[in-house]
Amino acid sequence: MHEVSIAQGILDIITANAREHGFRRVNSVSLRIGRASGVVVEALRFAFEIVRKDTIADNADLLIEEVPLGGVCLDCKNNFTTERDYILECPLCGSVSFKITQGRELEIIELDVEEEYEGKGCNKNPGGK
Amino acid sequence: MKVKVVTRILEANERIATENRRLFKEKGLFVVNLMSGPGAGKTSLLVRTIELLKPHLRVGVIEGDITGTEDAERIQSTGVPVVQINTGGACHLDANMIQEVLPELPLGELDLLFIENVGNLVCPAEFNVGEDMKVMLLSVTEGEDKPLKYPLMFQQSKALVINKIDLLPHLDIDMESLKERARALNRDMEIFEVSCKTSEGLESWTTYLTGLINSTH
Repeated sequence: MHEVSIAQGILDIITANAREHGFRRVNSVSLRIGRASGVVVEALRFAFEIVRKDTIADNADLLIEEVPLGGVCLDCKNNFTTERDYILECPLCGSVSFKITQGRELEIIELDVEEEYEGKGCNKNPGGK
Repeated sequence: MKVKVVTRILEANERIATENRRLFKEKGLFVVNLMSGPGAGKTSLLVRTIELLKPHLRVGVIEGDITGTEDAERIQSTGVPVVQINTGGACHLDANMIQEVLPELPLGELDLLFIENVGNLVCPAEFNVGEDMKVMLLSVTEGEDKPLKYPLMFQQSKALVINKIDLLPHLDIDMESLKERARALNRDMEIFEVSCKTSEGLESWTTYLTGLINSTH
């Protein structure tokens, strides 16, 4: 429901990294998104297409790794993962008491960027690509 | 070229939430983030809670709404300091919105600050604002299935207040099943059954709050 502010958060992190590492163009952004993070991947892609306009990321693709939901059961103590979007009971013993251990991720992992040669007297890439 | 980043996207929010938390602690302030769906009675609960706590504690309120100042005016009638945030469409309050309005409240003169979140059972649970605890409000007309549909809200909240119990004679809701499902998601959840209309149950809720505040002071 708040994918636009998340897309904006991604762009802010890209911009901060661009300042730090001195790149001017981003090809792709790798993300890890948990199935229970509350983010709808398609809505995030759409929101990112809008916020990336006229920025260093305006051609950047989102490479999204979805993380399945998993937890540890407080009764049978087993670790489990599931393909579902929500866990309502331990799939092993049926207990409704468990702690979620994965599936709530919302992280940027890495950026694939164009190296910056201009102004360094070493233009290895005259085509600009 | 690959640049390793590994950053939580909501890290900026978490950072500001930590700053807010530090400030609240410095001022000796206990902060409750109150969340519910629209119309469950957040403002009514606050008005009634303030009436009961006002002789003993200094209370302040931050009101979050998409638009309008009606809720803030209702709080203002109780005589406690209140600030209205209009999110202008955003479905939740975040730490930054809270930080921006804090200078407008006399934080050093308060014991308890309520933050009334935007009416929504999904997004507010995702954003910490620097609170000591999240409290969820649910009204009996919403039905016993809500824990199954909005599990995160129940998992994140330390207490659940069930409002409008004066309506129970007219409804089919299974209260035992509601409480069982809520506790299944959150074993340690404190549950209060209240009616803001008749005042039933409000005293055990305010006693609980007062106890928490005294134990942290």
